[in-house]
Amino acid sequence: MTAVQRNNVVEHGRPDARPMLLAHGFGCDQNMWRFVWPEFAEDHRIVLFDHVGAGGSDASAFDRDRYSTLQGYADDVLEICRELDLTDVVFVGHSVSAMIGVLAAAAEPERFGRLVLVGPSPRYIDDEDYAGGFTREDIEGLLESMDSNYLGWSNAMAPVIMGNGDRPELGDELTNSFCRADPEIARHFARVTFTSDNRADLPRVRTPSLVLQCAQDAIAPEVVGEYVDRQLPDSRLVRLAATGHCPNLSAPEETVAAIEAFLAA
Amino acid sequence: MTSAEGLPEDTAEDLFENAPCGYLSTLPDGTIVRVNRTFETWTGLLREELVGVRRFQDLLSPGGRIYHETHYAPLLRMQGSVREIAVEIVRADGTRLSALINSVLESDEQGRPQRVRTVVFDATDRRRYEDELLRARREEQETAQLLSRSLLSGSLPAAPGLEVEVVYRPAVSGLEVGGDWYDAFWLDDGDTIGLVVGDVVGRGIAAAATMGQLRSAVRALASTGLGPGRLLDALDAFAERHGVGTMTTLIYAELGLGSRRLRYACAGHPPPLILGPGDDPSFAWEGRSTPLDVAPASPGARREAALALAPGSTVLLYTDGLIERRSESLTDGMDRLLAVAATHRDDTAARLTAALVRTLHDPEHVDDVCLLAARLR
Repeated sequence: MTAVQRNNVVEHGRPDARPMLLAHGFGCDQNMWRFVWPEFAEDHRIVLFDHVGAGGSDASAFDRDRYSTLQGYADDVLEICRELDLTDVVFVGHSVSAMIGVLAAAAEPERFGRLVLVGPSPRYIDDEDYAGGFTREDIEGLLESMDSNYLGWSNAMAPVIMGNGDRPELGDELTNSFCRADPEIARHFARVTFTSDNRADLPRVRTPSLVLQCAQDAIAPEVVGEYVDRQLPDSRLVRLAATGHCPNLSAPEETVAAIEAFLAA
Repeated sequence: MTSAEGLPEDTAEDLFENAPCGYLSTLPDGTIVRVNRTFETWTGLLREELVGVRRFQDLLSPGGRIYHETHYAPLLRMQGSVREIAVEIVRADGTRLSALINSVLESDEQGRPQRVRTVVFDATDRRRYEDELLRARREEQETAQLLSRSLLSGSLPAAPGLEVEVVYRPAVSGLEVGGDWYDAFWLDDGDTIGLVVGDVVGRGIAAAATMGQLRSAVRALASTGLGPGRLLDALDAFAERHGVGTMTTLIYAELGLGSRRLRYACAGHPPPLILGPGDDPSFAWEGRSTPLDVAPASPGARREAALALAPGSTVLLYTDGLIERRSESLTDGMDRLLAVAATHRDDTAARLTAALVRTLHDPEHVDDVCLLAARLR
C-alpha cells in the first residue's frame, strides 16, 4: 500500500507548479480546505490528504505504536512528499497538523519552502510557566464527549447525516466522510493530539513560517500563538479578525489573503 | 371531540418562551442573540448574562468546547445543520446539564452564514442510560480479552529433540477478540503430543467461550486415546448435542516423537504444511472432512491420515488469516506460503513462524492469524 493510497491523497491545480500540501486537523478531513485550496490552484500543485483514521484514509493502516506520537503522522507527510517527489513545499497545517508540519520540516528541511500554521499549539495542557489552556481533566472530558457523540460512533451514521435536506455546500460524497472517523482511532488521535508536547521542536524549524491566530480561539488561545511565533526562528504572526478555531471554514477570504501575502513576501 | 375553547390562547411568543425545549439564536461565531425562558430555567443563566455577552460554546464544559470547535462548528458550516450532538452545558451553579442539541445555520442568498438556531433537549436520563451501555460494552470487551488470554496461555510441551512454537496475532482493528485458538499438550503415553489449531465462527465473548469449551473437549477426548478421526467424530457429537461451535474448522494432529509419525484429521480447515529437510514444502491434503456440526453426526465419518516424518521435519498448522488476502484467491495465498516456507525450511521453528507472519500476514487483513509449528530434530 502506498502512502498516496493510505492517506487518500487528492490532487488539484497545476502539476508542474510549486506544491501546496494542506493538512487537516483533529476532527474532520481534507474537506476542511474546501474554501481555501481553489484560491491557490491556479499557481500551485494542490495536494490534499486525510490522516489515517479520518475521511477516506485506509483505517486498516492504523497502528497504535506508529501513531502513538505526532511523529508517526509527520512520517506519513514525509512519505507522501517522497512518493510524489515534492520539494519547496508550502505546507499548510490546521490545528494539530500545524505541529505535524513542524515535525516534518524539522526532520527534512530541504523539502519545505514555507510553513503556514493555522491555529497552532505545541502543548494544550497547562504546565509550569506555560498556559496551554486546558487541564488533564479537560482532555478526559473531551474523550467523554467523543464517546457520547454519535458521529463516527455508530456504523449507521451516514444515512443520518445524509438525511438533512439543506446542505448547500456539500455533495453526498462528502457527508459520508466529513467528520466521521473510526471511533477508536479518533479517540487515540484525540489523546495523542491533546497530550502532545512539541515545544522543544519549534526552535528546530528553519523553514520560514506564518502563524495564523484567530480571535477567541478556545483551542489555541492567543498567548499560545504568540509563544509559537517567538519560538520559531523564522516566523511572523498574523492575527485574524475571524473568531473560533477554523478560519479556513468561517473566514476563508481572510485566511487566503493572509497566506497569499506571506507567500508573496 | 374535545374543544380548544376555554383555553388561554397559545401564542407564538408563549410557545417560544415556554416550549419544552431550550431555544437559542446565535450569530455565526456563537454570540447569543436570543434565548427562551425554558433555557433560562434549565440552566439558571439569565438572558441579561447571555445575550450579546457570551457565545454558546462558552457555556459548554471544556472538553465539550473542544468537541464544539473540532466537530460541531465545521459540520454546521459544511452541512448547514447538525443534529443530536451531545453536550454538557455548565449551569449557573456549576452543575452540568446533559443535553442534545440540533442546530440549523441560516445563510443569505450569497451563502454567507447569518444566524444559527439551536434547540436544546434535556437528555439527563438518556445520557445516564448511554453511559451504562458504554460501560457494559467496555466490560464485555475486557472480559472477552481476559478469557481469550487465559485460554491461549499455558506452557507448550518441551522435550529434547522437539521444538514447538506458536505465533498468535489478533486482528489489527477492533477491540473484540477473535475466534482463532491453538493448543499443544502431552498425551498419556508420554511420547506423543496433541496439536490443535482451530477457528471458531464469530468474535467477542461468545467466540471466546466457544473456544474454551472446544479446547477442553479436545483435551478430554484426546486423553481417551481415540485418535484424530474418532476424536473429531466425538467432537461433532459434542457440538451437536450441546449446540456449541457449529461451523468451527479445526485440525487435530498427534505427533509421536519416537515414531516420528504424524496422524491428523482436518475438519474443514486449511491443510497442514509439511517441511522435510531437502524436500519442497507440501500440503498434507489427506484426512479431510467438513467443519464441525454441519451435518448430523455420523460416527466413523471423519477421515484421518498418517505420514512418516524424516528427522528435521516441521509440521505447521495455521488459520486462514495467514493465507487470505482481500484481493486474491486462496490458491495464491497458499502458493505464497509454500514459497516463503521453502526459503526457511532449515530454520528453527521460532524463526520459521516469525518469518511467515512477517512476510505473509497482510497488514490490511482484518482476521486473526494463528500459527503452530512443531519441529523434530
